[in-house]
Amino acid sequence: MKNNSSFLTKNRGILIFFAVMLLAPFLIGLFEGSTPLMIWGNQGSLSKFIEGLGIEIFILALFALSFDLLFGITGLLSFGHAMFFAVAAYLTGIALKTLAMPFWGVVLLVLLAAIVQALLFSLVLPRVKGITFTLVSLGLASVFHIIVMSSDMINLTGADVGLQGVPVPAFISPVTERLRFYVIALTLLVATYLFYRRFVASPTGRVCVAIRENEDRAKMLGYNTTIFKVVVMIISSLTAATAGMLHALYQPSISPSIADLGFTVTGLLIVLIGGVGTLSGAIVGAFAFRLLDFTLRRFMGESASFITGAIYVIFVLFVPYGIVGTIRMRQLRTKPGWQRLLGMVKPKN
Amino acid sequence: MTVRETIIETQNLTKYFGALAAVDDVSIKIQAGTLHAIIGPNGAGKTTFFNLLSGNLKPTSGKVFYKGMDLTGKPIHRMIHLGIGRSFQITNIFPNLTVHENIRLASQAMEDNNFHFLMDTAKMDRCEERTAEVVERVGLKSQSLLPARVLSHGDQRKLELGMILAPDPEVLLLDEPTAGMATEQVPELITLIQEVQQSGEKTVVLVEHNMNVVMSVSDKITVMHQGKVLAEGTPAEIAANHEVQTAYLGGLYDLKV
Repeated sequence: MKNNSSFLTKNRGILIFFAVMLLAPFLIGLFEGSTPLMIWGNQGSLSKFIEGLGIEIFILALFALSFDLLFGITGLLSFGHAMFFAVAAYLTGIALKTLAMPFWGVVLLVLLAAIVQALLFSLVLPRVKGITFTLVSLGLASVFHIIVMSSDMINLTGADVGLQGVPVPAFISPVTERLRFYVIALTLLVATYLFYRRFVASPTGRVCVAIRENEDRAKMLGYNTTIFKVVVMIISSLTAATAGMLHALYQPSISPSIADLGFTVTGLLIVLIGGVGTLSGAIVGAFAFRLLDFTLRRFMGESASFITGAIYVIFVLFVPYGIVGTIRMRQLRTKPGWQRLLGMVKPKN
Repeated sequence: MTVRETIIETQNLTKYFGALAAVDDVSIKIQAGTLHAIIGPNGAGKTTFFNLLSGNLKPTSGKVFYKGMDLTGKPIHRMIHLGIGRSFQITNIFPNLTVHENIRLASQAMEDNNFHFLMDTAKMDRCEERTAEVVERVGLKSQSLLPARVLSHGDQRKLELGMILAPDPEVLLLDEPTAGMATEQVPELITLIQEVQQSGEKTVVLVEHNMNVVMSVSDKITVMHQGKVLAEGTPAEIAANHEVQTAYLGGLYDLKV
C-alpha cells in the first residue's frame, strides 16, 4: 500500500487545471485581439468578462467543495449549509460598509464567525442523526434567513433588497483589479482542493469516511465520532466562509437569496452533477452548473430553469454517480436509469 | 484448573425490554486468560447479555465490572481503549471500504495521531504493519484490496474477527463468530480464536450455537435460559447436567432456579 509517487504525479489533474485556468484569460485575450500586456492591465473586455464568469465558478466550486466534505465524505447532509456562506458574505459586507473595519480584520472576523457557527451546528451533532440533523440544520439556517430579511435589520442587511455598495479595498477591486481577484479566487480553490485531498487521505479523513459508511461501527472501533464530525464541520464552515467572503467582495450586491434553502440546494446539485464524495466533482460540477445555467439563460431567458430542472432529473436517474464518479467507474449504465424512470410512472400493485 | 483472577464480573445484571426481562439478575465472574462460553437456546438473552457487557445497551439495573472498574455508563468508544473488543453476530463491517481499510481503521484507533490532518495514512508504518499482519492471520491477504461487500459470508466473518484482533484487546467478546459460516470453514476460525487466546493469554467470551465447538474449546461454560443463568461449569459438568439437557430439548416451562 506504499504510495511513493510524487506530489506532481499524484495531483496532476488539479495542477493542469490550475495552469490552464491561469492561462485562460490571456488565451481568450488573443481571440479579441488584446495582447497579454493589455490583459495584465485589465483592459480586455471579453477576457474580463470570462474572468468574471470564472470567479463566479470558483466561488461556487469552493462552496460545493465544502458541502462535499460534509455530505460526500462524512455523510452529514446539512440543509443549512448556505448559512455558512451567507453569514460570511453579510459579515464581510457589514464590516466593510457599516463598521469600516480594516480588510484583514474583516478576514479574521469572518473566519472566527465560521468557527463559532460550526460549533453551533455541532451542539446538535451528538443528539441527532441522519434526516433529523438535516432538518435541524435547515431550521438553524432559516432563522438566519429570517433575520437577514427582516425589515428591522434594513440598515445593516438591506433586507429583501440586499446589501449594496460594499466598499471593496482597491487592491482586490473586481472592477479595476479583476485579474488579481481571479488569480486569488483560483489559488484559494486549488489550495483548498489540495488540502481536502490530503485531509481525506489522513487518519482523520479516513475516520470521517468510516463514519459515513457505518457510524456505530466506527464508535465500536474506538473513535469518538462526535469530535471527528465537529472537526469536519469546522473545516467545511471555514471553506464555505471563504467562498462567502469572496462572493461579498466580487458581487456588487449581496442578495438574501444566498441565505435560503435554494442556495444549499445549488451546492447539493453541483455535488450531485460532479459526483458525490469525489471532491474533484465539486469543481467539475460547478463548471457544468454555471455554464449550463449561463448558456440556457442566454438563449431562453426565464424558461431556462425548466430545462435545467429537467436536466437534473435526467442526471439523477441516469448518471447517479455524477460526472467524475461515472468516469472513475469507466461505465455509463443507462438501463437502471430507465428502470428508475419506469418505477416512478408505473403504478405499484 | 488453576485459580485465576476475575477480569469481568457482573452483579445482578438485569435488562428489561418493556415487561420482558431479557437478562434477569445475572451475576457471573469471568476469569482472566480463559475461554468462557455462553450458551443457551434462542431467546435466552445471550446477545442482550453481550450488549450489556460491551456497553451497547445500558442495564436496567446491576453493574458490570472490568478489573474492578465499574463499566456502567462508559461511552462505547472508550471500551476498546480499556481493552475490551467485541464482534457482532450480524456482520457489522464497512461494506464499501476495502478489506485492508476495514482492518486498518480498526488498528488506527489505537494510534495517537488520529488528528493529524495532513499525514498520509500510508506512512503510518506501525498501523500498516499491524494491518498486514492481521489481514494475513485471518487469511484474507489475497482479497485485501476488494471492497468488503463482495466477500463471501464466511470471509466477512473472518474480516469481522480481524477487526477485533487488530487493536489487540485483552478481552474479546465474540458473538457467534461462526454464525452462518459453511461447516468446513468453522474449524479454521475456531483454531484461529484458540490460537489468539492461548498465545496472547487473552480472555475470550464466546456466544456460540455449535455444541461441538463449545465443548471442545471452552474452559468454562455458562448456560442461559430465559434470561437467567441455568448452570455454570466445565464442559464435562455441563454435558452431564440434566437441567441443561432438558432446556435444550425444550419443554422446560416451569423452570425455577
